[in-house]
Order: sequence, then structure tokens, then C-alpha cells
Amino acid sequence: MITMIEFMLNGKKVQTDATSDTPLVWVIRDEFGLKGTKFGCGVAMCGVCTVHIDGNAIRSCSYPVSLVNGKKVNTIESLNGDHPLQSAWVEEQVPQCGYCQSGQIMQAATLLDSNPNPSDQDIANHMNGNYCRCMAYTRIKKAIKRAATSTVQHYDPNASSEGENA
Amino acid sequence: MSIKDLSKEKKDAINLSRRSFMAGSVKTSLFMAFGASAIPSVLSAKEAIANKTFSPNVWFEMDTQGHVTVNIAKAEMGQHVGTALARILADELECEWDKVSIVHVDTDPKWGYMVTGGSWSVFQSYKPMSQAGAAGRQVLLNAGAKLLGEPVSNCEASAGFVVSGTKKISYGDIVSNGNIDKVYSADELESLAIKPGNKKHLIGLGNEYKALDIPPKTDGTAVYGIDVEVDNMLYARPILPPTRYGSKVTKVDDSQAKSLPGYKGYKVLTDPSGTIEGWVAVLASDYPTAIKAIDKVKVSYDAGKTVNVNEADIQKEGERICRDRSEGTLFVDEGKIRNAEKQAAETIEALYTTATASHFQLEPLNAVAEFKEGKWHIHTGNQWQGLTLPAVAKAAEVPDSDVIIHQYYLGGGFGRRLFGDWIVPALLTAKAAGQPVKMLFMRPDDTMFDQPRSASTSLFNAYFDESGNFTGLEHALAAGWPTLAMAPGFMPDGVDGKGKVDPFSASGADHWYTMQHHQARVINNKVAQETFTPGWLRSVGQGWIVWGLESFIDEVAHKANQSPVDFRLSMLDGKGKQAGKAPESVGGATRLAHTLKKLKDKTAGVALGENEGIGFSVTAGQERTMPAWLATAAHVHVDKNSGKITLKKLWVVADAGIIVHPDGAMAQMEGALLWGTSLALFEHNEIKDGYVAKKNLTTYQPLRMNDVPVMDIEYIESNEFPVGLGEPGVIGVAPAIGNAVYDAVGVRLRHLPMLSSDVKKALNA
Repeated sequence: MITMIEFMLNGKKVQTDATSDTPLVWVIRDEFGLKGTKFGCGVAMCGVCTVHIDGNAIRSCSYPVSLVNGKKVNTIESLNGDHPLQSAWVEEQVPQCGYCQSGQIMQAATLLDSNPNPSDQDIANHMNGNYCRCMAYTRIKKAIKRAATSTVQHYDPNASSEGENA
Repeated sequence: MSIKDLSKEKKDAINLSRRSFMAGSVKTSLFMAFGASAIPSVLSAKEAIANKTFSPNVWFEMDTQGHVTVNIAKAEMGQHVGTALARILADELECEWDKVSIVHVDTDPKWGYMVTGGSWSVFQSYKPMSQAGAAGRQVLLNAGAKLLGEPVSNCEASAGFVVSGTKKISYGDIVSNGNIDKVYSADELESLAIKPGNKKHLIGLGNEYKALDIPPKTDGTAVYGIDVEVDNMLYARPILPPTRYGSKVTKVDDSQAKSLPGYKGYKVLTDPSGTIEGWVAVLASDYPTAIKAIDKVKVSYDAGKTVNVNEADIQKEGERICRDRSEGTLFVDEGKIRNAEKQAAETIEALYTTATASHFQLEPLNAVAEFKEGKWHIHTGNQWQGLTLPAVAKAAEVPDSDVIIHQYYLGGGFGRRLFGDWIVPALLTAKAAGQPVKMLFMRPDDTMFDQPRSASTSLFNAYFDESGNFTGLEHALAAGWPTLAMAPGFMPDGVDGKGKVDPFSASGADHWYTMQHHQARVINNKVAQETFTPGWLRSVGQGWIVWGLESFIDEVAHKANQSPVDFRLSMLDGKGKQAGKAPESVGGATRLAHTLKKLKDKTAGVALGENEGIGFSVTAGQERTMPAWLATAAHVHVDKNSGKITLKKLWVVADAGIIVHPDGAMAQMEGALLWGTSLALFEHNEIKDGYVAKKNLTTYQPLRMNDVPVMDIEYIESNEFPVGLGEPGVIGVAPAIGNAVYDAVGVRLRHLPMLSSDVKKALNA
């Protein structure tokens, strides 16, 4: 008997019959076609696969799909390009190759949720597990600070009906 | 193609203006391009364009709204190359920047030789892009003047309009109205002067503009090779043999895998191109199944002969061949080094070594291979299609013209995606399966199949006369050579004619210091060469060669009782061969001296605490034919108990000519400095039993956000020819740190990376 796993993906109810130990990243990318979430190391050490599960930043390469049953999963696509971090990323010209940036942004979003005004050290501590091989670290830091400022002014995470802030 | 051809090609690229230029209305667009090298003079521009008799390097179109599409035959891997090239063009074309877009083109024989590497793109493209823009502007001016009924001399082009007094017409309207068909001969084109650097209004320092490729890299829409899917494809994961070369598969037992739902069997790959040996690919209907199947498919091998090679074996061989003067070939031979040795009252010797290091680009290697309508279609991000495509065609046993490589964003290149060897197993698997295949390397597969920066060995001898004056430098340097492994045709002869030289394992030894006697002997380390495929890793040979050189120059300065900065300045006199050449190295070593003087002034007031020091280095980019002049300084603290080196701050003063994309140049320098730091203090992947020992980020630990130092980067305002900046920032960091450690606590570190344990050992020695 095939057990269906059901969860909310970017605000939409989805079902998968993937085997229970399938890492979530492949279900998101290959089954549901959301390619914004990347695959990097497969052992939760680089962070390019970071998504939100019930509002927490999680490495989807090492998260078995069975555990998302009944949960809310949000990917970079759920931010619709209008999250303050995304505009800050453009303003600060953060990405070089860009491959890690979905993960960086998803990781940073949970920092701002809990700490709207992070210090440099807060940022480094929260982001240290997210690897950027182009080493755009100083710009990532600047962009998070820029977004933090704009969050206070323009962005109410609780107003969003979707995403990690739902 | 030889290295001479390669440098000739570089020159030809700069001098593409020796070709004709054509502009022709095609359908509703205006199409503009350089002619192919031999454009038949009987062809009109329209005919030549219809026949695609144009150069791939510069090719753009303007539509009736004045929108300009610039085709880019370069890989985008984080350097925002398309933006920089389009901006050079737009500056001369006088079009509106917000109407410019870029398209990255796939391989096609008509594009000729495609390579993105060596930090060459801006350097090669600057003049042709400028000239193309200037010629396009002239075409639009002439057509616009006619439509306005004014003499051309009364008209000017500005921001997408041709203007004459109060009358004006937009570029878009000119395209709509003008039946344009114009060929400029090479001579006519040459007479269209391009603006000097200080008249540029879209490029150069002070021009802040955003890269066109960035927005899709913030919302998940940028498409990388790993994101490609084609109909009816299977997923594949490779099983790597026990050695890079020479292993043979003797038996495969997949009985345990058969029960996995979605498992589609395995293929033993036979490679007519010789790129891979002893590979097996596992197939599945989904990738997670392919991942799992690997553990259940048991492969037996006859292992290749390097199965027991360790890093120490490579270093032992490195030292042996550096010490044996009969080994290798001379790369530099100035003055008479044997006389310097004979007449020396004193000599100092030092051996510098670096560990093997990995690329670890974040997007693991991957390719989709599909045979469709008589051609192989490859989907992947690749830097050097010109080198890769023939190998892929050979593996497929088809002519080159039957292979098309479709280009995507690269999730990091750094040299790993130059030679696309990973395409070969993807293609062979697809061929064996008779079905399209997406082969994705899991991270350990990727790391094992990396083309790592070879471990290296550099032996230095400095000679001093009776008065203690430095008279000569003898330098022997050995490593695995990437160019020998992957593009041997690019290797020039040594100056003594004894053999070939890998320029990417030699450049940097031909420094810009004036020395009475100077010899550099380069030797291929065969133990490294046979064990793995040495790679071109960001800054390539310069990264390890100049680490040794600039550390040893400090040793020589101290021996000569001079300040390391002043000692360097005294040798950067720009005399003789160090005077530089037009256009790429005007001013020669004096420009390098200028950056160092500026840096000296800038750092003069730095207060150093206890166990803190400051160190300097000077570097000149990737090659003498394209020098980026950089002075680098590092401020470190050394914990004497733990041996930990803390890098507090890095300074760079850089003269790279006209800075085409200032923010992009800054981003490249920031990334390059941190790469330099990471290779100096963190990254090492020693060979153990034939492969790099560390297969994933659990053990391979590059610099992370917590380790980022303060960075102070200054570009010098210059109107000189622009040179590449993707790699040069890497080079000077390690020696500046090493020299700073010496300044702080008086120990000389001669191995990269500089680990706490090495510092402690040196302090206790």
C-alpha cells in the first residue's frame, strides 16, 4: 500500500507518494518542479537547499519527506520576489554565481522574523552555516541589515497569508 | 593550438577591429556585427548577415523600439560578464541603458572558439565592443541625419536619439524607417576613434550600475544546469573507480539493487575519448533512487597504479625534482645565475609547499545528454566549450558538428567548469541507455572527480655579495600541470628549449622585479600528474607560485636588512623588460610600485597590538601579457598559545586600467580576497590512497561568514587599457598573511594553508 504524504507547499495542499526516506529537496525540485531550491552537499552543511518548515529554516537535503506530513513548507518561490530581503539583495548586488542565494535568503528571513534588528554578530551567527563559494559574505550581511531597516518600515510579516509568516 | 596561437588569439580579439563591420536591416530589426575573418567583399551587409558570415564575438540587434539585444558568447558564473560587455558597447553606441538586454548563446560552429576563463573577458572584449558601438552609432547617425534632412555634421547621437538642433529622431524610429545596408572596411572602422577612458560615460569609476543577471538570482528563477529536464529522461549517478586513471571494472553485482522501486539498471561505460576509465553509471526513474542504488551495486575493479599514492609521495617527488637541476625546463633565465651562485658570499634557501585544494563550487557537476534529430544535445554550464566539445564528440564518436552544448548559469566555475569532462559519462550513459539521461554527481562524487589545485613545491635560493647586497634569485617550482592534462597543445617551449611549459603553472615566476640574475625552472610533478587531473583553480599557478615568491622576497629583504616594502620598491623600477608594453601593460613595474607606495601611506598609521603584525605583497595578475597591478596588506593577530592566526584586516590598492563595471570589480575583489584568505588559512585536501581525502564539507572547511576580515579595497583612477579582475585578488593574500605572521611573532611559515598547528610548531621550534 502506498502511503500518501500530504503537506502545504507554498500555501497549496500537495500530496506525494515518494518513499518516506526521500529527502524533501528532490520532492520539491523534481516532483513539484520548484527549481529555486538548490542541491549542494547533501549533508546539511552548505544551506543551498534551505526551505521553511512551519516557519523554521530547514536543510531540505537531509529532511525526509515523511516528516513534512501535515506541515507547511515554503520555498524561495513563496516570497514572490517581493520580500524585503530580495530587494535588498538587488540593491546591495549580492549574488555572484547566485547558486546559494535562495538558501541564503530563506535562512536570513527566519532571522528577521525573530530578530528585526540584528547586529553584525547576530547575522554572522545565524548565517554561518550557509556557505557561499563566491564568498559574497560582506554583501549578504549588508543586505540583511538593509532589509532589517525596511522590514520595520514597510513589511509586516504577519500580514502575509502565505510563506513562512503565515 | 599552441600558446602562441592562444596569445595571438587574445591579440586578435583585441584587434578584432581589423575586421570589417556590417549593419543591415533584417526583417524589422537592425543587425550589427563584425565580419568573419575573411568576409567576401562582394557581399552586402544584408547578404553577409543572412549567410551568418559574421564574427561571434560581437553581435547585437536593435528593434523598432530601440531595444538592444547583445549576444554574449561568455559563460555567466558570477562575474556579471554580459553586463560589463554590453555596457562597453552601449557607451559608444549612445543607446539607452535601460533598453539593453543580454542573451547567453549556445555553442555553434559559427561562434568559433568559446572560452570564459583566465580573467580575459573584459580584456579581450574591450576594444571590439567599443568599436562595434562606435560603428553602430555612426550607422544610426548617418541614417538619422538623412531622415531628419540634415547634414551628418549637424547631428549628434545621445541617449537613443539622433539630434540636430531642435529636431530629433529616436533610434527605434530610425530602425523602423531606415533600410540600412552598410559595410565598414577595417580601415574605415579604424578611423572611428573610440573614446578615451575619461570620456566614457557608462563605464569607469564613478559609474554605479546594476548587473542584469542579478534579479533572477534572488527569486529562484535563474536556470542552472542542474535545473534542466527533458522528456523521457532517466536519472543517473556515477560510481567512481578506485583511481582517477587506469582502473578497470571486472564485475558488477546489482542483485541487491533490483528490489528498489524505480531502479533501472547500470551501465559500464566505455569511453572512446579516454576521458574516463572504469566508470559505472546507475540509472533510475528518480534521483533519490539513483543515490540509494549506489550503495547496493557492488563493483569489483582492477585498480590503477596510483591507488596507494598519498600527499607525502607527491611532496617527496616535488622536492626531489626541485633539487635536481637536470629536471624540468627554464621559464626565465636572466643574467647568469651560476655566476651569482659562484660569487655569492652568502646564500639563503627556502622550500615552500602548498597542499592540494578543491574547487568545491556549490552546484555539483551535472549534465543532461539527449540524442535528438541526429545530434547530441548537452545541457550544462560550461566555461570552455572550445576545449570540451571535441572531447565530447570523440566520446560519442560523432563529428564536432553533431554536438551542441546548451549553456546555462554556472553554480560556480572557478576553473572547474573549463574542461567539461563530466559531460562524457553523462553522454555515454545516455548512449548506452538509448534514452536521455540527467547525470548528477553527489557531492563526494564531485569532489573525487574534481580537478584540484595540485600540491606544489617551490625551492628558492637567494644569492648575496660580500657587501650583503642581493644579487640573484634561483627559483625551481613543481606541481601537477592542468594544461598538460587537459590542453597540452597550449604549452609553449621553455626558454632553454628543453621542454614544454604549462603557462598556468609558471606565470608569476616571471615577476616584475628588476634583478641582476634571475632564473626560474619549472618541473612537472609526475606523481601528481598520474594520480589526478590537476585543475585550473581560481588564479591557478599564481596562487601557489607567488605565495612562495612574495614570502621569500620578504626573507631576502630581512636578510638584506631592509624594510620589505622599501626593498620591493627598490626593485620595481620599470627598467628594461619591466618597462611594460602598449596597450596592456603601459608603465610596467612603475604602476605596481605606485600601488605599493599608496598602500604604504595608507597603512602607515595602523596601530599594532601585542602579537600583531602587518605584511605586504605585490602581484601582477594572471600573466605578464595582462597584468592587474595589486598591492596587498594583511593585519593579523597570532595567539601564541593556540597558534591561531586571526586575520583582522586586508587592504588592496589595485590598478587595473579602466574599471568597466566598478561594483562588479569590487565584488570580484571581495570574493577573490576571501578565496585568497580561505586558501591561506583553511583549505587543504591532501591526497590519500589516490584521491583527495575530504569528500564533503563536513571535513573540507572553507572560510565562512564568521571568518571574514575587514576589507579596504581601492581602485586607482586610470585611463589605461582594462585588464581582468576575476582572479588576481586571490594571489597576494597568502603571502601578505605569512609576512604579517612573521612581523607579529617572528616565525616564517612555508606551507599552505597556515594552520594553528604549524604556527605552534614553528613557535616552539
